[in-house]
Amino acid sequence: MTLTPLSTASLATSRLFRLLDTSEPHIEAAGVVVMTGTVSGTPVVAFATDSSVQGGALGIDGCRAIADATDLAVRRGVPVIGIWHSGGARLREGVGALDAVAKVFAAQTRASGRVPQLSVVLGPAAGGAAYGPALTDVVVLGPDGRVFVTGPDVVRRVTGEDVDMLRLGGPEPHGRRSGVVHVVSSTDDEALETAAQLAVLLHEQGSIDLTRLPQRPDPSRAMPAEARRAYDMRTVVTDVLDGPGLELQANWAPNVLTVLGRLGGRTVGVVANNPLRLGGCLDASSGEKAARFVRMCDAFGVPLVFLVDVPGYLPGVGQEWDGVVRRGAKLLHAYAAASVPRVTVVVHKSFGGAYIAMGSRGLGADAVFAWPGAQIDVMGASAAVEVLHRRELATLDGEERAAAVVRLAEAHANETGGLQRAVDGGFVDAVINPADTRAAVAGAIVKVRHVRGLNANIPL
Amino acid sequence: MAEVRAEMVANVWKVVVAEGDPVADGDTLVILESMKMEIPVLAEGDGTVSTLAVSEGDVVQEGDVIAVIS
Repeated sequence: MTLTPLSTASLATSRLFRLLDTSEPHIEAAGVVVMTGTVSGTPVVAFATDSSVQGGALGIDGCRAIADATDLAVRRGVPVIGIWHSGGARLREGVGALDAVAKVFAAQTRASGRVPQLSVVLGPAAGGAAYGPALTDVVVLGPDGRVFVTGPDVVRRVTGEDVDMLRLGGPEPHGRRSGVVHVVSSTDDEALETAAQLAVLLHEQGSIDLTRLPQRPDPSRAMPAEARRAYDMRTVVTDVLDGPGLELQANWAPNVLTVLGRLGGRTVGVVANNPLRLGGCLDASSGEKAARFVRMCDAFGVPLVFLVDVPGYLPGVGQEWDGVVRRGAKLLHAYAAASVPRVTVVVHKSFGGAYIAMGSRGLGADAVFAWPGAQIDVMGASAAVEVLHRRELATLDGEERAAAVVRLAEAHANETGGLQRAVDGGFVDAVINPADTRAAVAGAIVKVRHVRGLNANIPL
Repeated sequence: MAEVRAEMVANVWKVVVAEGDPVADGDTLVILESMKMEIPVLAEGDGTVSTLAVSEGDVVQEGDVIAVIS
C-alpha cells in the first residue's frame, strides 16, 4: 500500500470527511480510501470504497487496504467504520480479486468481537461488498443503499426473475424481511451520524454513578390497565434508559426490541418483548435477533438489561418449519454463555420456554426484578387447567365449563403460581416499585465484576 | 399498493377501519386475538384502505391478507 496525495476529492473521501470530525493523512489504493481520525472525539479507523473508480469494484490492492485498515483498528483497539458503495469483485482481476475479497472477510472475522465494526452502505453494494458489511456488527443503510448477492441484471439473466434494485436489496427487504440491515436512514448524513453514534456507544461506554442517576418518568406509565391490551414497550425502554436509545433491526422481528442506550451514563444493551407485535411472543426470527444482539453486547462488554412481558414462544406449523426450536435455542445459548452483567425486569408476565429465554435466573441472570402483580409461570393459569383437567372439563358445557375454568385456575394459581413463589424459590430477587427500576438495574450492574465475553460476533 | 397480512394464526376480534378510510403509517387496522392477547394489526404506510378482507369473528391464518392499502 502506498501513500498517494489526493489530487481531487473523490466521493469516497468527501464521505469520509463528513463522517470524521478530525482526520489524519490518508491512504488511497485502487478505489479504496482509508483514514484514521475521530468521530465525536472517539478514535476510529475508517475506509470507503470509491464508486468513481470502476464502480467501486474491489481489486487486490483495494482489498488489501480494507484488510489492513481492519487489522490496524484491532492493533489500536478502536472501532472501524466502512463506507460501502461497490459492485463487488473486479472482474478484470479474475480469481485474484476473489482471493483478495476473501482476505477482507478473514480480516473482518479476526476483528469480530474484538473491536466494533460498523458499516454504512450508501450505494449499491453487491457480492463481496454485500457480505463485507454483513460480517460486521452493525449495518446502516442510507437512502440509496442497496445490498444484494448480485444485481437485477444478472438475476434476470440467470433465473428470469424480474425485479428492481429497490425491491431486491433496498430498505424494505433488508430492514423488514431479511434482517441484514440494522438501521435504515433517510439521508446519507443521518447514516454517517448513526455510525458515529454507535462507535461512541461501543467504545466510550462510560460508567454508572449511582449518586447521580438522572430522574426519569415512571416506566410503568405506558402500561394499560387491561392486561390483555397491547402497548408499545419502546416507551418503557426509553423511560428505563437515560433517554431514547438506538434501536437495531427495528422493523425486522419487531416483537423483540434490541436497543443500545445509556443508563446512568453507561452504555447498556436492552432486550425487550414488544406486546404490540405478535403479542410480544418470541418466535424464530426474534430469538435469532436477540441472540445476535446478546453476543455483540457480550463481546464488547456491554451489560444486558432484559425487560420482559412475554406470553410464550409462538407455536404452530409456520414457526416449527421456520426453525423456532433451532433459532430460539440461539438465544438460550447466547444468554447462558454471556459474561457481562445481566439484569432482568419482569414488567408484566413471563411464561414457559420464553420465561427461560428472557433472562431467567436459571440461565445465569445476575439480578431478576419484577414489578408488582407480575405473572411468572409455566403457562397462564387458565391454559394450565385446560391441560391438567382436560377430562373433567370435557364433561361440561357453556357457562358451567367457563365457571369451572375460572375456579380451577384460581386454585391452580394459588397452588403453583404467583409471584411470591418465584421470589421464595430465588428466581426473582425482589419485587420493585416500577419508579425504582432504573436505580435497581443500575445498582445490580455495578455489583457485578465487569468482564467481557471472549466470543466473536458471528452474524447469526 | 401494500397488502397487510396476518403475522400469525388469530381470531379477528375487532375491525377498526372501513374500506375507503384514509390511514397513516402505524394506524391500527384491525385487532386480532391470539395467545390471550389483543394484537393490533398496523398499517405499514400511508394510504387508503382499498380492501378490507376480514370481518369480526373470522379466523385468519398466517399470511392471509387482512387489508390492502393503496
